[in-house]
Parts: sequence; structure tokens; C-alpha cells
Amino acid sequence: MALRLWRKAILMTMREKKIFVIFTLIYTSLMFLTSFFMHTTFNNQGSTLTTYFILIFFIVSLMLSLLYAWIIVARNRRTWATLKCIGYTNGNINTLVSGIILYTTLVGFFIVIEVLFHYAAVFTYLQSVGLLTDLPTILISLLPVVLTFLMFLFVQLIAIFLANRKILKVRPIIALKKPGE
Amino acid sequence: MPVEKDTMIEAININKEYRRAGAIIRALADINLTIKSGEFVIVQGPTGCGKSTLLNVLSGLDFPDSGRIIFDGENIARSTEDRLSRIRRQKVGFVFQDFNLINTLTAMENVEAPLWPTVLRSKEVEDRAIAALRDVDMLHRKDHFPAQMSGGEKQRVALARAIVGKPRVIFGDELTGNLDPESETQIMELLKKINKDYETTVIVVTHRETVAKYGDKIIRMDKGTVIKGGN
Repeated sequence: MALRLWRKAILMTMREKKIFVIFTLIYTSLMFLTSFFMHTTFNNQGSTLTTYFILIFFIVSLMLSLLYAWIIVARNRRTWATLKCIGYTNGNINTLVSGIILYTTLVGFFIVIEVLFHYAAVFTYLQSVGLLTDLPTILISLLPVVLTFLMFLFVQLIAIFLANRKILKVRPIIALKKPGE
Repeated sequence: MPVEKDTMIEAININKEYRRAGAIIRALADINLTIKSGEFVIVQGPTGCGKSTLLNVLSGLDFPDSGRIIFDGENIARSTEDRLSRIRRQKVGFVFQDFNLINTLTAMENVEAPLWPTVLRSKEVEDRAIAALRDVDMLHRKDHFPAQMSGGEKQRVALARAIVGKPRVIFGDELTGNLDPESETQIMELLKKINKDYETTVIVVTHRETVAKYGDKIIRMDKGTVIKGGN
């Protein structure tokens, strides 16, 4: 049952193209930058500034995740109220919302992995043929990427928790009111 | 000798008050009524008479301040929200004035939606949705999104969504309020057919006099009280 709701959450996410694309791209950029600065710190190439950057990215990702959760709940209040009217429990709606939030993060993560693979391949090829040797080295090892993903996952769990609290407050009766009433 | 129908919903001494701008508005005052299984009930009255509040408390969307609502043998006046959700999933279908279809889902997906959180297999969910869409003559539009449909078509899809779970009761709140007279006739006749074919109890709140002819029982309300059709 939960699996079916997650599948439907993915379907609903993909149909909300604008918001999905915007947040996926933001998450991708943030994950890439956080992994890069983490990688730099781990290789002792970083300074205090890089640690600050990681902290800043963490806070930004937390705020964006909360914003995304808020948008999902607030923009679709009438949808959640309607679903409550047709028999969805708070738990069912929470499953849908957590599916939407986690799917967007996962897509962002896979794009980062994909970009890194392709960057590594292109970079290695260009180096091997002696072209563009002054290209900046942004080869990030797997550990910082995985740690960044775990950090983002933690942030999303906070967002899901807050979204769940907001969903509890959506009363089914809202579905019967006229839009904007 | 005619067979006595079972009681589907019984409202006993229902009271409900609202506070608006410091004033207390008595939306429901000592309401007592019985709705039998398979009845087609029309609730009518002027704007602000409490008919929508009555529908909300009878369907478990809102709680009365006092009194009991026995819904299919269970007092729902003090049930938890999750229990009420489960009752609605198993026994209730809703049709709204503004259709309330999910814009990002197709007609088929909208009709399937009430069955997603159930243990039914996906094939059965699909079969039931197809049957429901066929019942309302909207199967040819199953892959269309709500934005691609007219008001009457949206309401037929909403009706299919209401019947897909094989409910015991269908509640309609001004369900023809946004429709032209032709679509109103179509929707009401469909609802009447569903009421007859599946013996589903139907409770429709409306201010339109043209809808009254479809009801087996008319409940008239004024100033929070039932003036005709109560116990």
C-alpha cells in the first residue's frame, strides 16, 4: 500500500514540472558544491573558509527543503483536504508528501553522480590527449558525495517532519469551501 | 407488506454553534432526523440555514457541539480523525460543488485515487475505475486531465470517484451549483440511477428547487432547524 502511494507520489511530482525541475536543479547545485568543498577539506586543501561554505550550504539546503515542504503542503491544501474527504488518513497523505520530497532529493543526487561521472570521463580524456590541461580539477571522490547525500537526507527528514505537522492541521472541511474562501 | 429499510444515519439532538465577529450563530439547533438505507434525500433551505453544516456533521467532516450521529450503527460524533477517514473510505462517497478533481491526475487516476490506500491489487483498482467511468459514461475521456473537460464532464468524473469504492452513502454539496441546466439533469439522473441500481443512500444539499423532484425525501431547513422531514 505504501509502495503504491510512493509510486503515485512520483507520478504527482513529475506532473508538477515547474516546481520539480527548479528544486531538483537547486538541490543538484547545492549537493555538487557541498561535495566539492567537503572533498577539498578532506584532502587538507581547504581552509576555514571551506568549512564555513559547507555550513552555509547546509543551512541553505535546510531552508530550501523547508520551503519545498511548505510549498507542497500549502499549495495543495485543497487536494489534501479532498483526499481526506475521500478516505485518506493523515498517514496516507504523509506517505504521499514524503514520497514527493524524497524523490526530488534522490533525483538531485543521481544527477550529481551522473555529472561527476561524465566530468571525470571528459576530464580524463582531455588530459590524456593533452588538450585543455589548464581545466580546473573538480574530481570528487565518492565519500564526500555520499556524506553530502546523507546530510541532504537528514535535512529532508526534518522537512518531512514539519510537513507532516502541517498536514495534521489541514481539515477535510476545506474541500467543501469555495476556492479562496 | 413492505420491508422496513435499515436506518443508515440517525441524528439525535444535534447542536452546532459558530462564533463570527463576536456573535454566536446557532447553525444547528436540536436536529433529530433519520435517513434510511437506500433513500434519496434532498436537504433544502435558504442560504445560511445550516444545510451545509448538517451535511458536514452527518458525513463526519465536522463535529457537532452536542448530540449523537449514528452512522451505520456507529456513533461518529466523537470518533478520531483517522477512524472517520476509514469510515469515509469504506462507506462514503463525496461529490463537491467545485468538483475537486486533482488537476495533475487524469480522469482515470482521479477515479482510482480513493482506492490507492487500500489493499486491493492494482488490476482490481483499474477494473473498478473503468467500471465506474463506464457507469457515468466517461470511459472515452479516461486519459484526459480535468483542464481538458467541461464542468458537466468533471462532475461525472467526480461522481465516478465517489462510487468507485462502492459506498453505502453518497453526499453531495450543491453538486449542480456550477452546472448548466442540461448538465444538472444528467448528473441528477445518474445519481438517481446509482441510487436505484446499487441501493446507495444519497444525501444532496441544494438550494435549487429543480433538484427536489429527484428525492424520495425532502428535508427543509430554516435558521438551523428542520422544518419539514425531520423526526
